[in-house]
Amino acid sequence: MSLLELTNIETCYGPIMAIRGISMQIEAQGITVLLGANGAGKTTVLKTICGAMDPQKGRVRFDGKEIQKWDPDGVARLGIGHVPEGREIFPFLSVNENLIMGAYSRTDRHVEEDLDMVYDFFPVLKEKHGHQAGYLSGGQQQMLAIGRGMMMRPVLMLLDEPSLGLSPRLVSEITQIIKRLVDEQEMTILLVEQNAGMALDIGNFGYVLELGHIVMEGTCERLRESTDIQEFYLGLKDEGVRGGRRWKRRKTWR
Amino acid sequence: MAEHHIDLSQSPPVVTIDHCRTVTELFLNRVQQYPDKVALREKDFGLWNEYSWSQYGDYARLTGLGLIALGLKRGDVCSVASEVCKEWLFADQGIVSVGGVTNGVYPTDAPNQVKYLITDSGTRFYFAEDEEQLDKVLQVRQHTPTLEKIIIFDMEGLRRLDDSMCMSFDALLELGRNFAREHPEVWEQEIHAADPEDLMVLTYTSGTTGPPKGAMISHRNMMYMMVTLQRIYNVSEKDEQLAFLPLAHVAGRVFYISLVLESCSVINLVEDAETMIQDLQEISPTLHFAVPRVWEKQYSTVAIMLKEGTALGRFAYDCAIAIGENVALFRLQGKSVPLVQRLLFFLAEHMVLKNIRRMLGINNCRILSTAAAPVAPELIKWFWSLGKPMYEVYGQTECTGIVTSNRPDALRIGSVGKSTEDAEVELSAENEIKIRSPGVITGYWNKPEKTADTIQHDWLYTGDVGRLDEDGFVYIIDRINDIIITSGGKNITPSEIENQLKFSPFISDAVIVGDKRPYLTCLVMIDQENVTKFAQDNDVPFTSYTSLCHTTEIQDLVWQEIEKVNQKFARVETIKKFSLIDQLLDPEDEELTPTMKLKRKVVNEKYADMVNKMYQPDRTAT
Repeated sequence: MSLLELTNIETCYGPIMAIRGISMQIEAQGITVLLGANGAGKTTVLKTICGAMDPQKGRVRFDGKEIQKWDPDGVARLGIGHVPEGREIFPFLSVNENLIMGAYSRTDRHVEEDLDMVYDFFPVLKEKHGHQAGYLSGGQQQMLAIGRGMMMRPVLMLLDEPSLGLSPRLVSEITQIIKRLVDEQEMTILLVEQNAGMALDIGNFGYVLELGHIVMEGTCERLRESTDIQEFYLGLKDEGVRGGRRWKRRKTWR
Repeated sequence: MAEHHIDLSQSPPVVTIDHCRTVTELFLNRVQQYPDKVALREKDFGLWNEYSWSQYGDYARLTGLGLIALGLKRGDVCSVASEVCKEWLFADQGIVSVGGVTNGVYPTDAPNQVKYLITDSGTRFYFAEDEEQLDKVLQVRQHTPTLEKIIIFDMEGLRRLDDSMCMSFDALLELGRNFAREHPEVWEQEIHAADPEDLMVLTYTSGTTGPPKGAMISHRNMMYMMVTLQRIYNVSEKDEQLAFLPLAHVAGRVFYISLVLESCSVINLVEDAETMIQDLQEISPTLHFAVPRVWEKQYSTVAIMLKEGTALGRFAYDCAIAIGENVALFRLQGKSVPLVQRLLFFLAEHMVLKNIRRMLGINNCRILSTAAAPVAPELIKWFWSLGKPMYEVYGQTECTGIVTSNRPDALRIGSVGKSTEDAEVELSAENEIKIRSPGVITGYWNKPEKTADTIQHDWLYTGDVGRLDEDGFVYIIDRINDIIITSGGKNITPSEIENQLKFSPFISDAVIVGDKRPYLTCLVMIDQENVTKFAQDNDVPFTSYTSLCHTTEIQDLVWQEIEKVNQKFARVETIKKFSLIDQLLDPEDEELTPTMKLKRKVVNEKYADMVNKMYQPDRTAT
């Protein structure tokens, strides 16, 4: 059985249906990638999973439990960590306090060890542990957001566009971190990305979302081979005989 | 009302409309007689812009003279590759008026098809709609020696295009303008230089064997078709149509160009294939011709909406359509409707049926008409029950359009009607339908042996098997090559079964297989929209189109639909197994025609594995 299973999810913002019936399965210990253009509904899928939004219809099953109507704190306690888009760290708290906030729901005694583990993952954060988080650079803030997520010791981590606004070097650094989370911490990751090249490189399985529907699914190798993915997500397009082709092919999602 | 005259005693027959013997003369006549009347409308940035006959004439003149300036000689072929747009009409009329021949290319044709069409027809001038169509020609132009110039309608994204072979449509018009200044007399000279027997249009038809063949349509063929259409549809200058079928298809051409010319009616050009329903609602045409697929889609839209609707809504619909059916029955038999029924229908119409018709955009239609593919009689009856008369007609490219038609005074649903005036329809010894009329083409372009196969002693052999009843109504059974003979020796006409299948809102198209096989099977293409909705409503988890096709619930759903159809047929005609085509097909795929029909032959070849699997013995679990 898959760790997380969505069946026929429909989620609306008022009268606007953002997700129009999505089913997907996320296997334990791997990276599942969710690709899609702006407004395709990627973030809404994550919000539906973590309980920030309730679906109009459909089921979310995590580890055998149906959680679609749960509140976010309950979902988080169950082991689903959400690293939101745009980092959303607490700017007026120090780095250390931010990380401690991540462990807010925990009652066990291993929080200190985990703090060391996060500092081990992100030496920069250790250096700046007393600084106010709002003064960190973009890349450091992203690391902090991921570190805060790790402090919860989630089974499943939802990562919403971790590469947003980062330089290529930082993107590859974050990529390495994500891989280590899976390899060393045995975490399962659901990764939402606009940077399809990076996501498909590290992912195992991927879904492509368009206008609230899944239009394609497959292993990341297979997705990378697809001409549609290459043209519309990886920016590799056949320039045509004339060079500088502007028109778009019709997508077939094969 | 135009004056028609047809003289069959002469050879070749003579056809005149308002004393004009060629399409070019008739066009000039319309431009001079009705300069200010609206001829066409095209939507641009949300507004319907109108073009009068004199504007139509001006654009055609400048295009034609521009082509002469480029060196066009009478009889030269020009190809047009574009979606429906005003430039298509202007270019076509310009080409034809100066003695050129128009060959329509489907905008969905792949580059290698474009290459074939250019080389086979010997195209010198190629009109491309936009960047996308242009790129296809550029890809193949090193293999098309006859091609001299490419004229582009829409230059968006091509500002920096620097290629001596390419020019914009505006530049062509400018050439024409300069030419007209120096040679003002040439335009009318060319128009009057046309002979009724001159070739006017090449229309490529996909044969079941070999590459497409160019049917050669002459001015006389086209003039005759105008008269025929006018006789069937009785079109006045107040009539409005919406052009949405490809103009490269003979149906699109005769309805949207020829009939409009004959009757001086108005043609409204669809904004985009996807906005068809909206455009239809806005324009609300008075005459609407469409292919069965469009009518089937309209029916299934209503069927699905009802499923979503309230119980009261469904009840109202059921009552209204029952009353409509009852009234239609009287009308179909040509009887007057009794007062009670008429009162009930008045209520049903105003409370329910009118709303449905408005939603479908057919409320103002005098006449609906269908052809180009087989259609289920039930579907035609449904439109009659809605209160709109629908007439099925029949014909093919090789007779320039229509040869038999149902008409208000001669109507039998299930038949394709009686032969039109001045046309003869007979059956050969093998029950193949053959036609003789002034609309029958002279032959296929550069293919004398194919011509000799198809046209023998003035008779056109249609390749359709049919029957004639005692009153002369024609019933089409199937394509002669499509008839299935099972290994048990039973003759089966697949299209009859397929039509019933397509009537289901969940089935978009189907192909029956079973030639030289022990039983029938079928390949089904599902209606994505409706099946997705079904899956969502019934909690069937799926991800992509492919996975949707593989769910057991959808397989069961389609099987139920097939079972419903099976009940209507004899045992040997029932479908034993089926497979779903699990890829979402696009008109650019070779499996589909530009009108989104499955191509039997291609499908049979491409899905041979799938078909063979259906004939393997079931492996039961041990």
